[in-house]
Amino acid sequence: MSPIAGVTSYPRAMALETGPDSPVPVRTVSHMLGEWIGKLGAIWVEGEVADFRPRAQARMQFVTLRDIEANASLSVVADSELVGRMDPPLEAGQRVIVWARPEFWAGRGSLQLRARTIRAVGIGELLARLAQLQATLAAEGLFAPERKKPLPFLPRRVGLICGRNSDAEHDVVVNARDRWPATDFEIREVAVQGTNAVREVTEALLDLDARDDIDVIVITRGGGSAEDLLPFSNEALVRAVAAAQTPIVSAIGHEQDSPILDHVADYRASTPTDAGKRIVPSFAEQNAIVTQLLQRGRSTVLRRLEQESQLVIDARRRNRRAVTQSLESWTSDVSHLRARARSLSPAATLDRGYAVVQGADGSVVRDPASITEGDVLAITVQHGAFHATVTSTNSTKGNPA
Amino acid sequence: MSEPTFEQAREELAEIVAKLEAGGLTLEESLALWNRGEEVAQTCTEWLDKARATLDAAREDNTTDDAGADDA
Repeated sequence: MSPIAGVTSYPRAMALETGPDSPVPVRTVSHMLGEWIGKLGAIWVEGEVADFRPRAQARMQFVTLRDIEANASLSVVADSELVGRMDPPLEAGQRVIVWARPEFWAGRGSLQLRARTIRAVGIGELLARLAQLQATLAAEGLFAPERKKPLPFLPRRVGLICGRNSDAEHDVVVNARDRWPATDFEIREVAVQGTNAVREVTEALLDLDARDDIDVIVITRGGGSAEDLLPFSNEALVRAVAAAQTPIVSAIGHEQDSPILDHVADYRASTPTDAGKRIVPSFAEQNAIVTQLLQRGRSTVLRRLEQESQLVIDARRRNRRAVTQSLESWTSDVSHLRARARSLSPAATLDRGYAVVQGADGSVVRDPASITEGDVLAITVQHGAFHATVTSTNSTKGNPA
Repeated sequence: MSEPTFEQAREELAEIVAKLEAGGLTLEESLALWNRGEEVAQTCTEWLDKARATLDAAREDNTTDDAGADDA
């Protein structure tokens, strides 16, 4: 759609009746735009000088002013005299506050800000504003200890936001892997200073936070000037960190640096090296703990085994002793009975030299008349028995009495 | 008839002694009882000797077991 066709949508702002058959010339539109923009009053604007090349001898100087966070910029025109009076001199990268009036430059059809005052924002003023922001965020409770999420014991993967090929990146990776060699990183190399830093760091943060496999995110950069570290005190970035679901480790600059990110992060590492050590456990320590536990378990089982086998050995010993004793007692019992049987039997009499004579039917021979010649008799004496045949039965009356 | 157990043999021996003690026996009965007593006493003694030999053999095994347990 052409700008002219668009004009028909705003008949009251542009009091013109136009159509394909009745177009208006460029100068008319340009004039009217200029009049309309000219009615806007002067305003105070803050931004960063993105581009400034002083033009010697020129009456006017052109400056490109860029937003601190967003991708937006405006052209600023100032009298050379106004720019020349500035102390410190105007230069790219500087933060400035401009009092200016928007104007339409008909020659090029461009919009610009006509500056009447340009003031460099001093570092002191910036830091004072940061202190104010910090107080506001603290009052909101964004730094409260109960908001801090604990870091994982052993992250599956570590998100790392850092400068390209930076020492900070190296320090985090090397120190983490020194402790836990298998540490897995998802690294986002972004601008960590300058105009793009806030946007790139925030985008990387949102991206990593949305992933399921990342258990902790480290935001790091090495030391630098107070201006260099300003992005890490940016309100938008700090609020994004506060809203993140993943635990965040802040490792910005040196020990003494304390950007607002440090306060809102879940863990503040004093340096990138400290961050590397903090995000993973020490393999050696963990290994020692596991080894020790294994040894304790093993020795407990061994001790138990020894106790049990000692019980078996003791029981066996007692059992054997008891059996031996009862065996001895039975042995003496049997020999006692045997001796007793012997003492009560005729054996004692036989021991004195007597003999017992028995007939074939086992009856004791008490009378020669009861036997006949040729009978076989059993004769028992002290040490045994033998047989004898009767040769005569002379019935001579003995004198047994 | 199967081999009498130690219990049975020893019981019989005790009975024989009790009968001899009670007295009132003929010489023949005394002789027969005594002979029988010698038999069962022999059975008991053999049984006890065998048991003692088994126990001694087990003791030798045990000594090796104990030595093994000390090593662990």
